[in-house]
Amino acid sequence: MSNRSTRKQSVMRMIYFPASVIAVYGIIFAFMPDRAFLALKSSGIIFSNIIIPLSLVFILMIVLNLFLKPAYIASFLGKEAGIKGIILSMTAGIISTGPIYAWYPMLKELNEKGAGSSSIAVFLNSRAVKPFLLPIMIAYFGCLYVAILTVFTITGSLVAGYIVGALVEKKMPKTNIS
Amino acid sequence: MKIAVSADSPDLNAKVGSRFGTSKYFIIVDRDTMDFEAVVNPGASTYQGSGVQAVVLVISKKVDTVLTGYCSPTAIGHLTANGIQVLAGVVGTVGEVVQMYKKGKLQQQPGVKSGLEAGVNKIDKTTLIHALSNSVNQIIRLLPVLTGVVLLIGLFSSFISKELLSSVFSGNIAIDTLLGASLGSIFAGSPINSYIIGGEFLEYGISLFAVTALIISWVTVGIVQLPAEMAVLGIRFALVRNAVSFALSLIIAILTVTFLTIIGV
Repeated sequence: MSNRSTRKQSVMRMIYFPASVIAVYGIIFAFMPDRAFLALKSSGIIFSNIIIPLSLVFILMIVLNLFLKPAYIASFLGKEAGIKGIILSMTAGIISTGPIYAWYPMLKELNEKGAGSSSIAVFLNSRAVKPFLLPIMIAYFGCLYVAILTVFTITGSLVAGYIVGALVEKKMPKTNIS
Repeated sequence: MKIAVSADSPDLNAKVGSRFGTSKYFIIVDRDTMDFEAVVNPGASTYQGSGVQAVVLVISKKVDTVLTGYCSPTAIGHLTANGIQVLAGVVGTVGEVVQMYKKGKLQQQPGVKSGLEAGVNKIDKTTLIHALSNSVNQIIRLLPVLTGVVLLIGLFSSFISKELLSSVFSGNIAIDTLLGASLGSIFAGSPINSYIIGGEFLEYGISLFAVTALIISWVTVGIVQLPAEMAVLGIRFALVRNAVSFALSLIIAILTVTFLTIIGV
């Protein structure tokens, strides 16, 4: 598949959902304009609530992009075994950005090269901690909640890694792409 | 000693690939025996992150040297930081360039810096522009769905009453938490959307247990991505990980809110 068609698909995927919602608004405006205005007003309030945290998110994104490169994150995974490997996978998961499907090819490669299922599970689950989205989360739920949730989420990712490792280890598919 | 050469086809007669990240193959050649292995570059067909995947692949193959047409400074930085020599600007067939390398006829291109010199963390004008461009792209990719979610919540608030919602989320902690986790498992996308939906759910009086389970399962459980995860990491891994993550989202939600309540907030 060419880069151009993949890009087109990616753009279509991004606008499909908001375009559908806007179409629904159009229909409601035609039949129930009062309800549609009320809905728009509610949406406007939400936008005004998130605009400042979203600006902070943008600044954090720049900082993370300045200091953390995907290849640097990838170099954390699958290099070390044992506890050190798990901690590196967790760190990689926390600082990774972008949609999960963008990471699948790399995870497939790491899986084929023998990275443990525990490490991969820890990476996938620790992605629930998003440092650059903290401003939005704090704006909605407060610092204390976010701090407690972050601790439990990190602990949970380690537990998930342990359980998945125990149940799946030695049964991961080892295909050869050569 | 192993040499990785980016290539357009899987043999020694292939032309050297013009770009490290997007070449179709890497030919891994044993310098001494000239035995070779052709490896598909998983990044060749990828819109994003091709360089990352190529770097990971080459590092995992434990090669000592990379020969290619062009290699980005970032990729060179990471390769050399992992002890891999990179010779860019190489032209010819794979077999020819490996022979030239063995005879010492290939030289480092002027201006190509080592990993430490390239500086993973060094900030210069180019790095700053690159980081800004990446961040703008990330926000642009985030905004359409975010806008859709916010508009949808507006519709939701206009049409769904608190009474109707409370008939679904009844206030029973166990059932509400289960419902929250189920919703989070079905939906996918940036977690920012789960924060906004969760925040609005709280406004509607839905319990923090349910909202927390939704936020956690939104990222850790993926019904939509399950087929892709099964294809990439195996059916057993994907099913076990998602089932464990679903159960953990319930436990994390209960522990988080209970802990928050205990310390008096």
